[in-house]
Amino acid sequence: MAVNDADQSNRPHRSRHSGAKKAKSDKKKKKQQRQNDDGGDEKRQNPKAFAFSSTNKAKRLQSRSVEKEQRRLHVPIVDRSYGEPPPYVVVVQGPPQVGKSLLIKSLVKHYTKHNLPDVRGPITIVSGKQRRVQFVECPNDINGMIDAAKFADLALLLIDGSYGFEMETFEFLNILQTHGFPKVMGVLTHLDKFKDAKKLRKRKQELKRRFWTEIYDGAKLFYLSGLIHGKYVKREVHNLARFISVMKFHPLSWRTSHPYVLVDRFEDITPPEKVHANNKCDRKITLYGYLRGCNLKKGNKVHIAGVGDYSLTAVTALPDPCPLPSAAKKKGLRDKEKLFYAPMSGVGDLLYDKDAVYININDHLVQFSKVDDENSAMASKGKDRDVGEVLVKSLQNTKYSINEKLENSFINIFGQKPEMSSEAVADALATHKDNKHDSEEDASDRDQHGKATETGEDSDGSESSDQDEAGAMMGEASSSDDRDDDATDMKAIPGDLKEHVEFKDGRRRRKAIFGNDVDQSDMMVSFELPYRKEASFLYDDDMGNVSKWKESLAERTLSRKTPSLMQLVYGESTVNMIPINKKNDSSEDEESDDDFFKPIEEVKKQSMKNGLNDGMVNTEDCSKCEPSVDQRWDEKDNEGIRNRFVTGNLAKAALRNSLSNGNTKEENDEVYGDFEDLETGEKYDNYQTDDAVATTVHKGDDAEAEQRRLKKLALRAKFDSQYPFSPSLATIIIKSGYSLPIFQIIVYKIETPEKDAGNDEKSKPHGQANESSYFDKLKEEIELRKQMNIAELNDLDEDTRLEIEGFRTGTYLRLEVHDVPCEMVEYFDPYHPILVGGIGLGEENVGYMQAKLKRHRFHKKVLKTRDPIIVSVGWRRYQTTPVYATEDLNGRLRMLKYTPEHAHCFAFFGGPLAPPNTGIVAVQNLSNNQATFRITATAVVLEYNHAARIVKKIKLVGYPCKIFKKTAFIKDMFTSDLEVARFEGAAIRTVSGIRGQVKKAAKEEIGNQPKRKGGQTKEGIARCTFEDKILMSDIVFLRAWTQVEVPDFYNPLTTALQPRDKTWLGMRTVAELRREHNLPIPLNKDSFYKKVERKRKKYNPLVIPKSLQEKLPFESKPKNTPKQKRKSLDQKRAVVMESAERKICRLYQHYRLIANNSEKKRKINAEKKRKELEKERAKDELLTRKRQREERRVRYRAQDKQNKRMRRAEA
Amino acid sequence: MKTEYKRLKGSQSFRQRLLLATLSSTPIIIDDIRADETWPGLHNHEISLLRLFETVSDDCLVQINETGTKLKYKPGIIMGGTQHRPHDCGVSRSIAYFLEPLILLGLFAKKPLTITLKGITNDFKDPSVDTFKSTALPMLKRFGVPAEGLSLKIESRGVPPNGGGEVVLSLPVVQSLSAVNWTEEGFVKKIRGITFSTKVSAQFENSMIRAARGIFNPLLSDVHIFTDHRSGPQAGNSPGYGISLVAETTTGCLISADTAVSHARHEETAGLEDDSKKDLMPPEDVGCGIANILLGEIAQGGVVDSTHQGLLFLLCALCPQDFSKIRVGKLSQHGIETLRNIRDFLNLKFVIKPDPQTQSVLLKGMGYGMKNLSRKIS
Repeated sequence: MAVNDADQSNRPHRSRHSGAKKAKSDKKKKKQQRQNDDGGDEKRQNPKAFAFSSTNKAKRLQSRSVEKEQRRLHVPIVDRSYGEPPPYVVVVQGPPQVGKSLLIKSLVKHYTKHNLPDVRGPITIVSGKQRRVQFVECPNDINGMIDAAKFADLALLLIDGSYGFEMETFEFLNILQTHGFPKVMGVLTHLDKFKDAKKLRKRKQELKRRFWTEIYDGAKLFYLSGLIHGKYVKREVHNLARFISVMKFHPLSWRTSHPYVLVDRFEDITPPEKVHANNKCDRKITLYGYLRGCNLKKGNKVHIAGVGDYSLTAVTALPDPCPLPSAAKKKGLRDKEKLFYAPMSGVGDLLYDKDAVYININDHLVQFSKVDDENSAMASKGKDRDVGEVLVKSLQNTKYSINEKLENSFINIFGQKPEMSSEAVADALATHKDNKHDSEEDASDRDQHGKATETGEDSDGSESSDQDEAGAMMGEASSSDDRDDDATDMKAIPGDLKEHVEFKDGRRRRKAIFGNDVDQSDMMVSFELPYRKEASFLYDDDMGNVSKWKESLAERTLSRKTPSLMQLVYGESTVNMIPINKKNDSSEDEESDDDFFKPIEEVKKQSMKNGLNDGMVNTEDCSKCEPSVDQRWDEKDNEGIRNRFVTGNLAKAALRNSLSNGNTKEENDEVYGDFEDLETGEKYDNYQTDDAVATTVHKGDDAEAEQRRLKKLALRAKFDSQYPFSPSLATIIIKSGYSLPIFQIIVYKIETPEKDAGNDEKSKPHGQANESSYFDKLKEEIELRKQMNIAELNDLDEDTRLEIEGFRTGTYLRLEVHDVPCEMVEYFDPYHPILVGGIGLGEENVGYMQAKLKRHRFHKKVLKTRDPIIVSVGWRRYQTTPVYATEDLNGRLRMLKYTPEHAHCFAFFGGPLAPPNTGIVAVQNLSNNQATFRITATAVVLEYNHAARIVKKIKLVGYPCKIFKKTAFIKDMFTSDLEVARFEGAAIRTVSGIRGQVKKAAKEEIGNQPKRKGGQTKEGIARCTFEDKILMSDIVFLRAWTQVEVPDFYNPLTTALQPRDKTWLGMRTVAELRREHNLPIPLNKDSFYKKVERKRKKYNPLVIPKSLQEKLPFESKPKNTPKQKRKSLDQKRAVVMESAERKICRLYQHYRLIANNSEKKRKINAEKKRKELEKERAKDELLTRKRQREERRVRYRAQDKQNKRMRRAEA
Repeated sequence: MKTEYKRLKGSQSFRQRLLLATLSSTPIIIDDIRADETWPGLHNHEISLLRLFETVSDDCLVQINETGTKLKYKPGIIMGGTQHRPHDCGVSRSIAYFLEPLILLGLFAKKPLTITLKGITNDFKDPSVDTFKSTALPMLKRFGVPAEGLSLKIESRGVPPNGGGEVVLSLPVVQSLSAVNWTEEGFVKKIRGITFSTKVSAQFENSMIRAARGIFNPLLSDVHIFTDHRSGPQAGNSPGYGISLVAETTTGCLISADTAVSHARHEETAGLEDDSKKDLMPPEDVGCGIANILLGEIAQGGVVDSTHQGLLFLLCALCPQDFSKIRVGKLSQHGIETLRNIRDFLNLKFVIKPDPQTQSVLLKGMGYGMKNLSRKIS
């Protein structure tokens, strides 16, 4: 596109001289000028008007401003990525049929002018001079969405404007939020469905508002108005691309602490015959992608999302397939630099492996490699088949391994040289064999030369820095073995055919230069055929063999080197314990043949000889070494030791220090070189000290200068981060070395006024100034540390650096993984990008975690304890059974059977540990056709908690079987005497509130005395004491807490090991199981809520014994008065009201009558209304049911269709 | 799920292996622990150390086979907290043997650790608790460990063979350490020290001090050596005396040396019958010898003495992923072993460069990025 073209000279801007715009700008200018003349603002004019009158108000204002300031500040994050940043991942997400692929295609077209046929897998694009972007389409299932949220740097949420928001958008947003919340931009599509402009505007407004409430006010929402020729409008795509390319990305804490790779190329490198032998054998795979997050060390374990944990068998840095353009001074990108890399989408003809290059040749270009018979027949009719063609044909048939095949093939092309390498065989298809043969040898010869020069550099010791500068584009992490090869490869990276031809030319030129020496290399090149996939055709393999051949050379040079201190410490004696020990064992076995019994000392000596490590297998573990008093400091002259004291000759001691420092830095060598011999000569003491003092001063200066330099770098980096007008230029300078180009001076010029302004700033409140200064200090410290680290890293040579810090972020890596289930290869789907995440310390261990969980407000049901949920924590997704709990006031963790409605609760679950503060998304249903919101809960890990005691209430119920005065025997509470013993001293209570205590198990059962009957004594009867006598009808309770075990079930989600359109099936919930087996929910009769009906207690009449009656006084004696037949006088008397009373009474009566009447009327009315409403409701219900039935029918039909399709696919 | 165990052999650097396994939460199996020796298997102090690890951590699994030659250890979460029951360290090794791994372990615990350790406070094999207090704890402060809550209190002293000493260690909890750039050893500006005597005359201390001062005085005037005479229950169960010296440099480096003299342990005397009646070394010789050792350490250069190299390397390795730069004198055997263990467990290597002019060694390396994961977030 013209915008990026550097050659274009843009017309300069012309300001208007007349018209509306001119008037507007004039007005603006005038206003500004007037303000300036007046003295800035109104405050100056009348300061009294703006002085505060109330101290309270002033205080409030101040605290408010401080608070605002505080809210603005964030703790600065340490950024430990030093290299070139990897491409930013732009995930395009949206519900199906919303235009995701089209958007990616349009963006790709915009950036590269290429038409992308199909969006499969990540697509890397150089979008600017300093930026690469990787586009990924988010899959439509929830697993894919979860994975995509974990690697997205920017998420483009596509929303169908004509339809409105769909659940997928909100689900994805929630997943993003819990996994760190990368940048989000909304894109509205399908806006051409609206014909009415007003409606459109209203819709936009509506959607924007909803979008803002979900993310934040002012979140960017793009509008793609419609399609032109089946593509989005160019201008709008351009605008969107502009937004993407200026976007700033914040580091997310999980990702900055874990390395991860978004795989953009996937190969199965299992030997084909092994697959032939057993189709289901475990596979070897290689995964390619940019390293992101943090540095990856060798030996780091990884988690492949949807597959499982694996250790990396091999990690290799490959040259960047999509490198940034070199930092030349020019505007925009040249066409050649608009690179574009998408191996999964079938773009890019050349693919680079560790030791091979693949060319992708389209089928229509190469007829002869097809295996169809007609073609071959035609070819054979025309002319004799080429020998190479025949060979290729035979190679394509991989029934046997290539070795066997070669033996069987009747054409013996290289009869005289059986150890010729296979790549020449492959090359023979193009050119004459002798020619090629020569070229082959030449190539290896050249490489040998290259190696020779390289080793020369090695011995010089200045290799690393040279290499760095020379091969900035070359990729820092290319291993030293195939560095030369990479250099040649790099030129050919741009994936068009022209480049490829040039590449060929390059090879030919090489041939022309070195044409004469032939021997030696043939001896070295051994015939070893690496296995390759047939689809990507084997082109050239000399790299592999040459590197192998060079290995021996490298080894030789290594062996020639004198071992350094580092080698002495980390030497191969302890590299891996087990093989060495094995060796040791075998040697012992041999010796045991000689003589069986042997003094132990000898054995020890033997093992001592074998290696450093074996000698100290059982040495004593002691930090203090043996005191060696061989040197008596008091007797000798203390000259050596004296200078280590403050009383000694400081200057001399300083000299010693300075010398040592000078030695560590090569650049200072010649400066201090002449002082070295001064140290040995002791006669010129005075003269020497003078000089030494000078050097100390100098040395101090030097250290200060170093510090200052680092500080400067830090300041500059900080400045760059604040003013991103060209953030990368500075980093280039940092990378290239310590020379100070003009740019730096410019930066300082810009910076100093700002600094000054900061110093004499008085308009700011003090609080703000203080805070920001502290904040600045913090930032500066971090930046200083970073610069120090960079400086240290630059000091190291390539290999040591790799060993110490691992692979840098931004390198293109090839990861080799062994023993992967074959299903991963079988069901590999390029539409589902593979995420490989590094596992941090202790994260592979399984343990218990405590999380703070909240059910999602969109999810309709509460969650039940021990019902399985699928959680996504860190890189992983697994199914687990949480136990929910809440903390009581006394710190007790009480189990909850269900999650609370609108509050947080704790969730305890087992699984691979994730560090505290990690976000969790929980999902219960993975199926795609579920209408409701799929995210059930969100949570955050609080701590690893194994010791947490979650308890639930338990109530033991017992009945008295024998009651003494205040003691009673309680049965049915415990089942055995042992249990009673466990509960001795526990507090109990009767229903009526009498408290008591469990004492001991009753010695003998008293109630039914089974012993007498010959049976066994009934166990579990407890003797209890109460504060009062209890009744036989009392029920006794023991209230206690019992521990709830958290089940340690966890089931990793292996969605990559099955067809992607199939829903993963894991453990089912109890409810699902019941539904499936058609089981009713078990009902406990006692748990029903019902009306309490108490039986009326019937008391027997009181009977007083006769003897007692006689003694009672008359008053208390029961009197035998017979029942009266007639009513008493009291009962039958008439009541005569007075007139006033009567009046009142009548009035009351009237009122009551009125009230009753009106009540009756109201009731009738209400009844009528109710009936009407009911009728209406019934009608509505009928309609609803009808609609629901219709919906269900449609859904079931779709589901059935899908199932059928799947079954067919399976068949 | 099956746990993968890291397989190791022999009893060497047992403490560091346990410590690093716990910090990096790697389960380990150690085979062939003294399989060929007269007293095979784990020794008492190693068992005691395992007990200590079990007390301060939760959910850890220790399995030892019948002969004690094979150990299976699965680390748990480091809990820390106040341990009310004192830990008995036994009398086969001194308390410093336990303290060395414990101070690193305690930093990454869930709660600040306070624990009482009982056993031998001073012997000649391990650094004494005085040295620990004067040198190792200040070293932690350099790596960003807060000073409050960091203390070691010597309640009573005990020497071999019967011990009876008691110390109280309390450690704060850190989120992470901070990397250091510690290469300037500076000049020795003062020498401090402490002598102790248990169940012997206090005069022993004075003669030790006199002998040591005799060597230091020509070099430095700022020499103060304190005495700590214990008697009664505070003196433990055996007679003995000793001295611990610390030289402080202008840049704040601490270089220490110590020793203690007492009767030999019973188990050792079993092997050497005739030595059992040996007299104790005279105090003058002790003072003279230890002063010479200290001077030897000072002469070697480096920011720490040879005893504390291992601790220094471990601290550097547990830093965040920044570069630490340190200078030590001659690499001690223990230091080399530590470096190897760090390589094995944390997959870290240091760049080691000798400095021929000063006969010292410069090390620099990136930290592991250790973070306290067991701490609860609020």
